[in-house]
Amino acid sequence: MGLKVGIDFGTSNSGVAIYQGDQVHVLPIDSNNIVPEVVKTILYITQDYRHFIGQEAVELYYKQNINRQRRFVKKWAGEIDYRGSDMHYVRDIYVYMDELQPGRLLQFIKTALRSEKYQGTQVFERYYSLSDIISAYLLALKQRAEDLLGEEIHNVTLGRPVKFSQDGEQDRRAQDTLHQAAVEAGFKQVDFELEPVAAALYYELSLSKPQNVLIFDFGGGTLDLTIMRLGDPLHRNVYASGGISIAGSDFDRAIIQTRMLPHFGKGVVQHDTEIVNLIHTIPDWAALPDLSTPRAKAELERAIQAGEAPVRLKALESMIFNDLAFSFYNMVEATKITLSSWGVAVASMKEKNLDIWELYTRSQFEKDIREYRQQIEQVLMDTVTASGLEPGQIDAVVKTGGSSNIPVFSEMLGRIFGNDRVKASDVFNSVTAGLAIKAHQKS
Amino acid sequence: MITPSKIDEWIHEVEERPSSAVLIIRYIANRLSELASRDEELVAQNIELLSGRKVEEYESRIASLEYQLELLKRQLGGEVVLPTEMPSLTPIQEMLNVLLYTPLGQVLRLEIDPSGLAPTQTIAKIVGELSQDGLQPSVLVTSSLEELLLIFDSGRTVRLPVSHLPTSNAEQLDWQQAFFEEPRIKEELAAIQPITKMPLSETCIQASRRGFVKKTKTSFFTAHLEEDYIGSGVKLRADKTCGLTFANKDDLFVMVSQEGYIFSMQAERLPTAIEEVIHLGITDHIVATFVASRVPSVLFITQNGKAVHRDSSWLEPASSFKSKGQAILSRERREAGIRIVGAAPVEEADWGVFLETDGTLIAHKLSDLLARGSVVTGQSAIQIVSFSVFHMPEIKG
Repeated sequence: MGLKVGIDFGTSNSGVAIYQGDQVHVLPIDSNNIVPEVVKTILYITQDYRHFIGQEAVELYYKQNINRQRRFVKKWAGEIDYRGSDMHYVRDIYVYMDELQPGRLLQFIKTALRSEKYQGTQVFERYYSLSDIISAYLLALKQRAEDLLGEEIHNVTLGRPVKFSQDGEQDRRAQDTLHQAAVEAGFKQVDFELEPVAAALYYELSLSKPQNVLIFDFGGGTLDLTIMRLGDPLHRNVYASGGISIAGSDFDRAIIQTRMLPHFGKGVVQHDTEIVNLIHTIPDWAALPDLSTPRAKAELERAIQAGEAPVRLKALESMIFNDLAFSFYNMVEATKITLSSWGVAVASMKEKNLDIWELYTRSQFEKDIREYRQQIEQVLMDTVTASGLEPGQIDAVVKTGGSSNIPVFSEMLGRIFGNDRVKASDVFNSVTAGLAIKAHQKS
Repeated sequence: MITPSKIDEWIHEVEERPSSAVLIIRYIANRLSELASRDEELVAQNIELLSGRKVEEYESRIASLEYQLELLKRQLGGEVVLPTEMPSLTPIQEMLNVLLYTPLGQVLRLEIDPSGLAPTQTIAKIVGELSQDGLQPSVLVTSSLEELLLIFDSGRTVRLPVSHLPTSNAEQLDWQQAFFEEPRIKEELAAIQPITKMPLSETCIQASRRGFVKKTKTSFFTAHLEEDYIGSGVKLRADKTCGLTFANKDDLFVMVSQEGYIFSMQAERLPTAIEEVIHLGITDHIVATFVASRVPSVLFITQNGKAVHRDSSWLEPASSFKSKGQAILSRERREAGIRIVGAAPVEEADWGVFLETDGTLIAHKLSDLLARGSVVTGQSAIQIVSFSVFHMPEIKG
């Protein structure tokens, strides 16, 4: 008949859980990870189109890419038809491809569901639509779960944010794409549940009497808010839900923008448009690997020879051409996470021609994300108002998702609802576990 | 980068959370100690450089590499096997090698004994058509001990020692017998460059037919050579790479166009990214690139055989890129259809090999040629296609 599982397909991390014997089991999907129940939402596709996920993908990427050789070859990419009033001609388009590139690393896949523009990407000779990318990832998750459970999985309840996008049409398209990807991955029946609702279901297991609960689901890609009546499975009631597309990856970008770009020449290189554009591409994780072209190399060499901030541009060159972008983003994220426990952290990275050392304090971080903080507080208050409840009528605030541990947001929740009502849930697994409960209930 | 505004921000953190003060001091102290030890390393390196110790070390390393290179060259030439005891020091007789090559990748090699060369002597004549598919061949004279870099217009390169090319018979110089390095689709052989002396130069300058150049450090260039790809060196669709020159930063790099315009500039000032340094007319293109500072004069040859000889000091280095260039031909002569087929830096004792339109290869002693003022072609209908100069090797033993 096949098993039913819940899958939390998150922006940064994912997980798989099953409800068996009146208990939720979050599966240790990624045995290489420090927390095996959490698997990084990262897909690495090798030149022979093999797919790797999680820590295995990261390790293989490092092994194959850091400081590797490159060889750019000119390849025909297609042609453009020019049609004028009295003429028509066809022009060939060539691109420079690094023929020694061993694989493509894809991360923040879920964020692409929010985008109207992103349809897919070319991986070597093959085009991967967004649904192909997600299905490759889900298939790998499914296979690992089946290996652990020793049985085929047919049904899945997938989590989804309250809103993929503010645009209703885009929101529907995003869920359709996710649905199609799950079917392509081999799931026969696919259901969806809102991620905060799933977290609520998990929290409900610990309740002995009904409560009004605010689920504050704050992960890598979105903030999702749901206010529910929980505790009596027969009389569950969603009062209001809301959310905003601000989360961990936006904070990382803010840190890079404000604190890291000066290390690569921002503020020093002023009038060299080509170089300024290169510097300002750094916060864009998807675009940075594509900068490693002979043209960019030549531009950087020219500027370095001309004495334009040579040390900083050498650092930029090293990051682009030694495939250090992934390590760089991880380093920034790790610095941010450290600031959740300590008042001070050092963002540091030392590689060939690259030496970043940036003492970064929690108050600096809070200053850098001040605008986001205000927007989040606004959407939180709007959701409470929409629920028809007063903050004092909320019995518990359940935090879930990696970003919910950021102290400034815990303080915000404590200030509005009272510190004693703010409960920390299992930040990475509560949504996964709730989805397994939901999958079980649907059977 | 510790700035006053950052220090203010740290103070603010300490005011908000006094417990952060200890961490901040500890982090800064660690960083200072790390920077201090790095500073010490740099000062030590600087002392070594100033005292000349580092220079001596590099000089001895270069000498050792040169010796190894010489051994390898001889090995590749198939003439000497690494000795097990001290060599007998019998000098190798260096032969002159005249190479003829076409954009189709055909290379003919003719080996001639320099000791028997008369001041004007017909060396050989090509059997059959001179041009292949309408593409004119080029001539290059080099030593038998050289290593060659075959440069295709796609940026692909192939390296091979001269001695690996089959030699042709002077009586039967036929394209059918040519060595063939097959170009890939849409590719042409743009130039052949001897590279044995490349490590002695600081930079490699790649030039294109439309007057664009890019300069690369020899150390980087060597890495590109390892990958058999140096880049096409062009920005325009209709452009092609046309040559490679090795130079030191103080050398005067020179490019000469078919319509007689010359661009010269100190190699140090050339761009590292591909840039147009001479703005050519739409019918014009570059025919020669070289370095002029190491020799006293420059020789220009026109298609009708006229030899124009100028002192190196005559060259006027350009002050900026995209200049029109210095003219060697008068407007009247240009309008009369006179074109430059090649140019090269020369010394009085040098020789040249000239390829004529009827397929004849003639060697000339340049001092005689310059005294005459023109290459004797015999018939007025015959023109010069290409030429290459060489320094007569020392006759040993």
